[in-house]
Amino acid sequence: MSVRVGPPADPAVRVIQLARTYGSGPQAVTALAGVDAEFHRGTFTAVMGPSGSGKSTLLQTAAGLDRPSSGQVWIGDQELSRLSETKLTKLRRSRIGFVFQAFNLIGALNVEENIHLPLRLSGARPDATWLRQVVDRVGLGDRLHHRPAELSGGQQQRVAIARALAMRPEVIFCDEPTGALDTQTAADVLALLRSVVDESQQTVIMVTHDPVAASYADRVMVLADGRIVRDMPQPGAEQIAEQLAWLGRRQLVTQES
Amino acid sequence: MLMLALRMLRHRIGSAVATLVALTCGVMILMSMGVLVESGMRFTPAPQRYAAADILVADRDMTIETTEFGETATVTVDLPTGGSVPVDLADRIGQLPGVAVAAADRSIQAVVPIQDTAQEAVAHGWSSAALTPYRIVDGNRPATTDEVAIDTRLATAAGAQLRPGDQIPVLAAGSERQYRVSGIVDRTAAGDTPAAMFFTDDHAAALSGSPDRAGLIGIVLAPGADSAAVTDEVGRLAAESGVTVHTGDERGKLEQSEALAAATMLIQLGAVFGGYVAGLVMFVVAGTIGLAVRHRRRDLALLRAVAATPGQVRLMIVAEVAQLSIVSAVLGVPAGLWVTDWVHGQLMTRGFIPDGFPLAGGVLSAVAVSAATVLVAVTAGLIAARRTVKIRPTEALGEVAVEPARSSRVRLVAGLIALGGGVTLTMFGTALRGEAALGAALGMLFVFVLSAALLAPWINRYAAQALGPVLRAVWGDSGYLAAANLRANARGMATVLTALVLSVGFGGSIWFLQDNLERESIAQTRDGMLAQHALVSAVGLPATAVADARQVPGVVAATGIRRTSVIVPVMGGVEPVAAQVIDPDGADRALDLSVTEGSLADLRGDAVAMSSLQASTQGADLGDQVEFWLGDGTPVSLRLVAVYERGLAFGDVTLHRGTADGHTPTNLDDQVLISTEPGDAEAVAGLAGLVERYPGSGLIDTGIIGAQLATDLALSAWLNKLLIGVMVGYAALAAANTMIMAALARGRELALLRLVGVTTRQVKRMVHAEQAGLLGTSLLIGGAIAAVTLVSVVRTMTGHLIPYVPPLGWISIIGGTTLLALVTTVAPISALLRTPPVHSIGVKE
Repeated sequence: MSVRVGPPADPAVRVIQLARTYGSGPQAVTALAGVDAEFHRGTFTAVMGPSGSGKSTLLQTAAGLDRPSSGQVWIGDQELSRLSETKLTKLRRSRIGFVFQAFNLIGALNVEENIHLPLRLSGARPDATWLRQVVDRVGLGDRLHHRPAELSGGQQQRVAIARALAMRPEVIFCDEPTGALDTQTAADVLALLRSVVDESQQTVIMVTHDPVAASYADRVMVLADGRIVRDMPQPGAEQIAEQLAWLGRRQLVTQES
Repeated sequence: MLMLALRMLRHRIGSAVATLVALTCGVMILMSMGVLVESGMRFTPAPQRYAAADILVADRDMTIETTEFGETATVTVDLPTGGSVPVDLADRIGQLPGVAVAAADRSIQAVVPIQDTAQEAVAHGWSSAALTPYRIVDGNRPATTDEVAIDTRLATAAGAQLRPGDQIPVLAAGSERQYRVSGIVDRTAAGDTPAAMFFTDDHAAALSGSPDRAGLIGIVLAPGADSAAVTDEVGRLAAESGVTVHTGDERGKLEQSEALAAATMLIQLGAVFGGYVAGLVMFVVAGTIGLAVRHRRRDLALLRAVAATPGQVRLMIVAEVAQLSIVSAVLGVPAGLWVTDWVHGQLMTRGFIPDGFPLAGGVLSAVAVSAATVLVAVTAGLIAARRTVKIRPTEALGEVAVEPARSSRVRLVAGLIALGGGVTLTMFGTALRGEAALGAALGMLFVFVLSAALLAPWINRYAAQALGPVLRAVWGDSGYLAAANLRANARGMATVLTALVLSVGFGGSIWFLQDNLERESIAQTRDGMLAQHALVSAVGLPATAVADARQVPGVVAATGIRRTSVIVPVMGGVEPVAAQVIDPDGADRALDLSVTEGSLADLRGDAVAMSSLQASTQGADLGDQVEFWLGDGTPVSLRLVAVYERGLAFGDVTLHRGTADGHTPTNLDDQVLISTEPGDAEAVAGLAGLVERYPGSGLIDTGIIGAQLATDLALSAWLNKLLIGVMVGYAALAAANTMIMAALARGRELALLRLVGVTTRQVKRMVHAEQAGLLGTSLLIGGAIAAVTLVSVVRTMTGHLIPYVPPLGWISIIGGTTLLALVTTVAPISALLRTPPVHSIGVKE
C-alpha cells in the first residue's frame, strides 16, 4: 500500500522490514512489526497513529537514535544497523537534523551556540553565509545571544529547526514539534518546516497526533499496532481526523471483542 | 570541547562547587602530606659532632633473613638502642696507612650543677675531640682520671666563668664526682649540638659501663690519603666485626638518630595517610561527578542525539573535571602549605619530631600533588563518565529523563565477595592470637567498609523497604512518601551512605581504640604499681641505689627498673617492642604485673617474662625457649618463665638485669621503685637521705607516674586522632556535598508535590523521615563495623570483652550526624520551600 509522492529519485530514507521489540520473554512488547517505507527527497511526511502504535519508535529507529531488533535502515546510501555508536553519532550530526517536542536546547549555551553545536562537535568549518540565511529564515537574528530560558516555546522550537538546518542534513526528523505550542505559534513553526521542504528541497519526517499539523505534510502515514495501516497523499485535516477517529473506534471494537 | 565543558560547568555551578570543594580539601591534605614526606626525604643533617671525621664505623641497624611462604627475604630494622662497635677495632683501623685518627667514641649523658642550675652535657673520651674537632683554647687536655676539659659554652653557662684549675662536680653514670678543669675547649664550627666535655679515654670507658664496646668509631684521614682506598680497607675490617661504614651525608644522619627517626616517621606517615586520602578523594570526586552526570542526564542525552559521540561526552566530562582539579590545585596548594606550617609546629611542640626539624621543599610536592590530583580527578571523571555511555540518545525525546534502576552486576558480586571476606576475617580473627589478631581486625575494618561502599545501592534499597512500615508509623503519609523516595534514590544516595559508614566505622573504631588503650594503660599502671615511691634520675641510677634503698629502715622492697626495647619477630618481619629490665629481688612487692602463669621469681639465668599478647604472638607457652634480639641486636634464646597481663603499661617483655647488662646504652636504672610500710614517716625521712646520696635524683610519688603516663599517652594519641579526624572530616564533607547537591536538585519534585496538595509541613516531615532513614541506616552499619573491630582489638589488647566508649564519643557521633543532616538537607529544602511552587515547576530540567 505504498504511495509514491514527489520525484521518483533515490529515497532519502528507506526502512526495510523494520521491527523493534522491547523487553524479552512473555512480557515482550512489539512496537514495530516489520515496516517497509521509503521517504523521498524534498517531501514532508507526517507519521500518525494512536498512542502505542509505534510511530515514535519508527522515528527513533529510522533516525538512528535507537537500534531496531531486526530489519534495515538506510539514510541515503548508508545502512545504519551495523554502525558503531560513534559512527552512528557522526552520521546523525552530519546527515540528520532533529526537532523534539521540548527540551531541545542546551541551557548552558545561547541561541547561536546551540545552533552551532553540531558543527562545533563535528569539527566542521561553519559556512557563515548559510548560517546567516538559516538564522534569517527562522527569524531569530536579534536573539542570537539569548539563553534558551529567555525565549518563548515557539522561539525555542525555531532555534531547534535552525540547528537542524545548520548542517544541511539529508533529512530532518521531528517528534511532535508543535506538541507544546499554542495554535498560532504551532502554525508558524509548521509553516517554517513547510518552507524548508519547498524552498531547500529538504526531507522532513514528522511524528504528530494533530491532524492540523499533519495537513502541512505531503503525505500521511498512519500506524497501528506496529504496522502501516494507511499511507496516502495528504488529504486535508478533516479527512485525516476522520481516518484517525475510524482507527480509534476500530481499536475499541477489537479490545471489546 | 574545553569551552563547551567550561560553559556547562558555569551553568551547573552547584555541582561544580561541590566537586571543587571536595578536590580543594583533598589537595590541601595531600599537599600537607607531600611536604611532610618531602621534608623527611630531603632531611640530610650536616655532620656537626663528627664534622671532622671522614669515615664513621657504627652498628645502627640489623638485617635478618626471614622465610615467609617459602620465600626468603631480608628485613632491616633500626636497632632501638643504637648498637655498639668493639673498641679493639679502633686500634686495628688506627694501624691502617692513611688513617690519622681512629677514635672510639662514647657519649655519656652528664649533668653539671653550675650556680644552682643543672647544665646538661655529653661527655666523651679525649680522643673523640679530634672528630669535631674541639681545640684547646685555654689549659691542657685531661691527663688524669679526675680531670676534665670542658666546652666554652659550659664554662660560661649560667654566668659562671670557669677557668682551668677550677673544681666542678659532674654527675655521670649515676654518681657525682668532683673534677678539676684541665682546659677549656671550643669547636671550630658552629652548631646546635649539646655542650661537650672530655675525660681521659680510660675514664670515659670506665664510666660507659662496657669498656670494650663503644658507640662508634670516628676516623680522620691523614692529609693526602686516598679516601676511597682507606674506606675500602676500613670496610673490610668493619665487615669482619659485623659493623657498617658510613661516609658523606650518612655521617650527619648517624649523629642525629632521633631526627632521622622523625624523618622516617614523616615519610611513612605522609605516604600511608596520603595514599588513603588520595583513594578517598577519588571516591568522593567520582561520587559528586556521578551525581552531577545523573542530574543533567537530559542535557547529555540531547548532546548525544544531536551531535556528540560517546567519546566526546566522556571527553567533555573529563575536561570539566580537569579544569576543576586545576583550580583546586591553585587554591589547595597554598592552603596546604599553611596547614603544614601548623602541623609542623604541633609536631614539634608535642615531641613527635625534634625541635628545629626543618620543613624542606614544597615545589616538588606541589607539582606532584597537583599532578596526582588531576590524575585522580580525571580517573574519577572517567569512572563517572562510564555511566554516560549508558545514556540513550532517545532519552532526549521523553518527557522525563529517568535513570534505569539497574546497578552493575559486577559491583554486586564484588560487594558480596568483600562482605564474605569480612565475615571470614571476623571468624578467623576470633581464633587468631596476638599481633595477627590485630592485623586481622584492621583488615576486617577495611574490608567491611569496602563492602558497604560496593553494596550501598542495594543496602539503601532494602533499608528503604524494611524501614517503610517504621517510617509510615512514625511520620504517617510523609513517611510513606519518604520510603518511596529512599527507594527511588537508592543509587544516588549510595555516596552518602558510604561516606557516613566510613566516617562512623573508622572514627568509631580507631578513635575509640586510642581511648581504650589510654584508659587500659593508665589502669594497668595504677593497679600494677605496688610501690608508693620511686627514685628517679635523669642520668641514671647505679645498682647501689637499689641496695641502698633496701637498707633504709621501713622499706619493704625496692627494685630497679630500666626501660629499653627488644626486637621480636612478627609475622614474617621484625619489630621493636617496649621492654623493661628489672631486678627480680623484691619485684613482686613493688610491681604487680598480674602474672597469670609462672612466676617472676623464676626470672633468673636465661629467662624472660612476656605479656600474654606478646607470648601468644610468639606462640610461646610457659617453659618454651623464645628467640628474639636485644636492643643492640644481640640474638638471645630465653626460657619463658612468666606470662603477665599488664603489658600495655609495663612493656611486653620483662628481662632481668643479668640478661640486659652490657646491651643497653648504660647499665643504669631509670628508676628504683620502693615499697614502704603504709604511713611510715620514718621511711620517708630515710628516703630523703637516699636522694642526697644520689645527686640529680628525686623521690616521686608513684601516683605521679600514672598521671605522667596519661599525659604522654594523650600526646602520642594526638597524631592518630588528628589523622583519623581529618579522614572522618573529609568523608563527612563528601556526604554533606552529596546531600546538598541532591537536596537542591529537588526543586521541581517538591513543587509538584505541593501543587498536588502536599502541605509544606508534610514536605518537611517527609524530608525529616528520609534523613532519619538514610542516616539511621548509615549509623547502624557504620556502628556495627566499628563495634566488631573495636571489640576484637580491645579483646586482644586488654582482655576486656566490652570496649569503653566515652560518653562524649556517643554524643559527637549522633550529634555530628544530626547536624550534618540539618545543615545539608533540612536547610536547603527549607530554602526551596520558601519559593512558591509554580515558580519551580516552570523551571526547565
